[in-house]
Amino acid sequence: MLFVWREALVGLRRNLTMTLAMVITTAISLGLLGAGLLAVRTIDRTEDLYYSLIAVQVALDEPTSAEDPDCSSPVCRDLRAELEADPLVASVEYESREAAFTRFQRIYAGQSILQLVRPQSLPATLRVTMDDPLRGTEIVDRFTGRPGVRNVVDQRSTVADLFSFLGSVRNATFGLAIVQALAAVLLISNTIQLSAFTRRTEVGIMRLVGATRWYTQVPFLIEAVVTGVVGAVLATAGLVAGKVFFLDNLLSGRLLANTIPPIGMTDVLGYVGPVLVVVGAVIATATGYVTLRLYVRS
Amino acid sequence: MIRLENVSKVYATSTRPALDDVTMDVERGEFVFLIGPSGSGKSTLLRLLLREDVPSRGTVWVANWNVGRLARRRVPRLRQRMGCVFQDFRLLPNKTVAENVAFALEVIGKPRHTIRTVVPEVLDMVDLGGKADRMPSELSGGEAQRVAIARAFVNRPLVLLADEPTGNLDPETATGIMTLLERINRTGTTVLMATHDRQIVDSARRRVVELSSGRLARDDHRGVYGVAR
Ligand SMILES: Nc1ncnc2c1ncn2[C@@H]1O[C@H](COP(=O)(O)OP(=O)(O)OP(=O)(O)O)[C@@H](O)[C@H]1O
Ligand SMILES: [Mg+2]
Repeated sequence: MLFVWREALVGLRRNLTMTLAMVITTAISLGLLGAGLLAVRTIDRTEDLYYSLIAVQVALDEPTSAEDPDCSSPVCRDLRAELEADPLVASVEYESREAAFTRFQRIYAGQSILQLVRPQSLPATLRVTMDDPLRGTEIVDRFTGRPGVRNVVDQRSTVADLFSFLGSVRNATFGLAIVQALAAVLLISNTIQLSAFTRRTEVGIMRLVGATRWYTQVPFLIEAVVTGVVGAVLATAGLVAGKVFFLDNLLSGRLLANTIPPIGMTDVLGYVGPVLVVVGAVIATATGYVTLRLYVRS
Repeated sequence: MIRLENVSKVYATSTRPALDDVTMDVERGEFVFLIGPSGSGKSTLLRLLLREDVPSRGTVWVANWNVGRLARRRVPRLRQRMGCVFQDFRLLPNKTVAENVAFALEVIGKPRHTIRTVVPEVLDMVDLGGKADRMPSELSGGEAQRVAIARAFVNRPLVLLADEPTGNLDPETATGIMTLLERINRTGTTVLMATHDRQIVDSARRRVVELSSGRLARDDHRGVYGVAR
């Protein structure tokens, strides 16, 4: 077994430029795949975060908002009872105009918008938490236009833009990853063919001495696997660098803080890294195997 | 040990058969010269024995293998029990002398400690004990051929095939190679040697099989190269 490793290393060194090209292409493709995986993770987490927070807001009309601090008026009580009886609804909370104004002050503390808002412009609301956040539109349809209701807003639709943005980031990364993977596969296949061609006399002699096809070809496979694994390690290193030097700043910056949850080091090293190593090794091995079967006769 | 039954070989690119209905038998432990003019089919016969090619007609036996019908994946087993030596040595260029010999043991999965003891023994036998770490490019033709013979013999093959092993060597070196092959033959290994070397054939007085245009022309028990022409 030592022999085949030695052969593989010799093969990799012999063609250093090609080896580097292979490793870099593989690393880029796996890096993009990893970025896509991280995006998926982040999207899932952001969705979890938001779905636990978002609700359907049934805003009450001016008379009720102005006069009802605890949902004791018949209009509010009836709406609340009906909502609570609905099987789609997990819970209902009443937020009076004063409570809304207090929360508003807290959120926008120190910002100029605070001066523009009076309590009178904020409605009292029934905050409806859904069992299934995706079915909020049904509540919107049912309660819009009812007596005492000013309007009904499904908060989910306001974060939909964020998700569709994250979704297209993910799709674009996966798309690029596939194109790059194709390039990597072709490059690996080509390098193996070249490597096998340069060594055909040698392999012929080995076969005459009684080496099996397998024995003479394993070095080529190892070359491919080493490429895949090294590529995956580089890709992971790249992702770590991207996280530390770019994403961490971005996600904790003013714009996106508390909007998108940060990406943890365990996400990169504990999840994406191993996945990339396995994917890299499997793709490289498969490419190597198919190439040897189809193009390298001996 | 070796048996050819009505063996013919026609290469796809030519109409004239390279071997034409050859039948012959080689007993275990025999030493046989295969002679004949250039193009008479000597190399072709050896190639069939090594399963580098398959016969167009007839059957080739080596030990108990029907070589022509051997499944591809069994061919390595056959070759592991045969040794072969060529005019152009065919050493692995980026391995040392010792590694070249060791290679024949590695492919049959011999453990490393066995390899470490057996390789020096065999190199001593071919008088190359001091050159184990040389690269093939640093050897003379005679030395390179002795490495090739060491590699062919290190597995104690049933059969040793040699295709003009002295073809590139001066007469004196050639005699040395011949002595080596006879020594190997004395250990019980069957040797089949294709050659053009009149002097070697004449002085060895061994069995001589002559091919002529692919046909078996002569099979003498204690033959000579041929009547002077
Ligand atoms: N791979 C091949 N394809 C086609 N024809 C071949 C091939 N190898 C050999 N031949 C032909 O088969 C015939 C026998 O060739 P072979 O090599 O067996 O002769 P030989 O006796 O070994 O000759 P030499 O003494 O020159 O080595 C020749 O006519 C040769 O041209
Ligand atoms: Mg020949």
